[in-house]
Amino acid sequence: RIMPVRWSRYNPSYLEPEVKKESHQKPLEELTEEQREQMELKAVRPIKAAPPSLSSSVFSDPMISKFTNMMMKSGNKVLARSLMSQTLEAIKRKQLEKYHKAPENEKETIECNPYVIFHQALKNCQPIIGLSNITKGGKTYQVPVPLTDNRKCFLAMKWLITECRENKHRRTLMPEKLSQELLLAFNNEGPVIKRKHVLHKMAEANRAYAHFRWW
Amino acid sequence: TLRLICTTTAVQRKNVGASGPEKYTEAFIKKQIEEFNLGKRHLANMMGEDPETFTQEDIDRAIAYLFPSGLFDKRARPLMKHPTEVFPEQRKIQWGEDGRPFHFLFYTGKQSYYSLMHETYEKFLNVQKHQDQLTAQDLPVQKEKRNLAGSRWLTKIELEEMLLEQVSDDDYSRFIQLLQKLVALPCADIEEKYIQKFSKELPVQLQKVVIEPLQHDERGVAFSTGEGKRKTARATAVVYDNGTGKITVNGIDILHYFPVLQDREQLLFPFQFLGRIGIHDMVCTVSGGGRSAQAGAIRLASAKALRSFVTEKEVEFMRQAGLLTVDPRVKERKKPGQEGSRRKFTWKKR
Repeated sequence: RIMPVRWSRYNPSYLEPEVKKESHQKPLEELTEEQREQMELKAVRPIKAAPPSLSSSVFSDPMISKFTNMMMKSGNKVLARSLMSQTLEAIKRKQLEKYHKAPENEKETIECNPYVIFHQALKNCQPIIGLSNITKGGKTYQVPVPLTDNRKCFLAMKWLITECRENKHRRTLMPEKLSQELLLAFNNEGPVIKRKHVLHKMAEANRAYAHFRWW
Repeated sequence: TLRLICTTTAVQRKNVGASGPEKYTEAFIKKQIEEFNLGKRHLANMMGEDPETFTQEDIDRAIAYLFPSGLFDKRARPLMKHPTEVFPEQRKIQWGEDGRPFHFLFYTGKQSYYSLMHETYEKFLNVQKHQDQLTAQDLPVQKEKRNLAGSRWLTKIELEEMLLEQVSDDDYSRFIQLLQKLVALPCADIEEKYIQKFSKELPVQLQKVVIEPLQHDERGVAFSTGEGKRKTARATAVVYDNGTGKITVNGIDILHYFPVLQDREQLLFPFQFLGRIGIHDMVCTVSGGGRSAQAGAIRLASAKALRSFVTEKEVEFMRQAGLLTVDPRVKERKKPGQEGSRRKFTWKKR
């Protein structure tokens, strides 16, 4: 059944665009029957236009664009994007400093690619289980609930940004704060990881109410 | 409910057939058809053409010539069409002179819908019986998968036109579910003819657009043009071959016209996708819209221009990447009683 949450200008039969070059250049070694059916469906149905934040170049990453959008205030994408690039530059500089100061045997363990650090830090911050408020018999209980992948990513990014905006010294700039947080999260330290552990402990404590969940 | 913003005008036409029992008797319509045929022959005589081979297009041209009208609305101009097009098909009166209805399901209220459901279920049971017979005789059950991608089911409005009565959303979805169950059975090929009445062929590939051939410059350099739009911006792009990869917008280099990296990325997106960055040269003109809208318009224009340089398969890849569709998103209008298009006024308790 077609149930739009908010209406969109596209007909419901329009499919999402696929921007990556590699997925179009796989000749016939497709993985499953499903993919073949998907391809046939794509050949017949119209496809939506690619949004301006998406591009097939090596530098566009969907996670980074999502994070930039979340950092953006009042639609100032230019500022958000510049802050993001300054953050990645700051991470690279710090890692290079560490790399040049480290002794020979430790040089291989230091990760210098800021994108890899970003992705790993996000993965380390993602909670496995979340809490949701369920009202039963007049009282609201915090019930442990499984989370979808999108929700996990969103929570990790939200915690990082709020942590940087509120709990730091007023005079430090955002790229500096963010790069510090990301490096700490990469090494499984720092306030964001602590928040994730607190959430896990709360979920473990409220294990008794898990049967209140009906979905 | 679905708000039908994104549909075509054909779908928004009022379904007169399902509104009520017929307002015109059969005798009346027969008389209209006879008059129409006579009138057609008279018209052919007047125009000096052969009355036997006088088509509808000829009639339209003749009427436009004999009764010229300057009215803007096409529906207000003089019209001469076959009565079945003018008087839409409507349900005949379903009860006899004694008041007894003809159809046994008349008192359900939706007789044609329920009779259709009964028929479809009968076919379903037929197919199951056939399947059981095959398994009883130990013959192999055929499992040819029907190509689902090439066809679509009838829409609710088309179904209403077929049944000549109102069909609700729930009824329509139940009917489609029953059809899908029928198609999912392995021996559904027996009832293929019945199923084809309710499925429509989708155009095999959405490549209805004609790709123009390359044009050549005075110096012999091949080039092609493309037009694109996004929000209020309109752009035209001319892509030349044998270039160094320079891009000029309104006479200014892109580094100066688009200081933001995101816009330049969008301009180079079609070239990077096809792997032809240093090969082509581009000159574009753009007007209207803002910075991002102009970039999107030029991207569409350059993608359309590049179609002539590239094989059909790559055009299909570009279409699947979303480079060749016009972005229909525009600024939503402000509504009365609200501050903007979505934001409501501040709620004050008193």
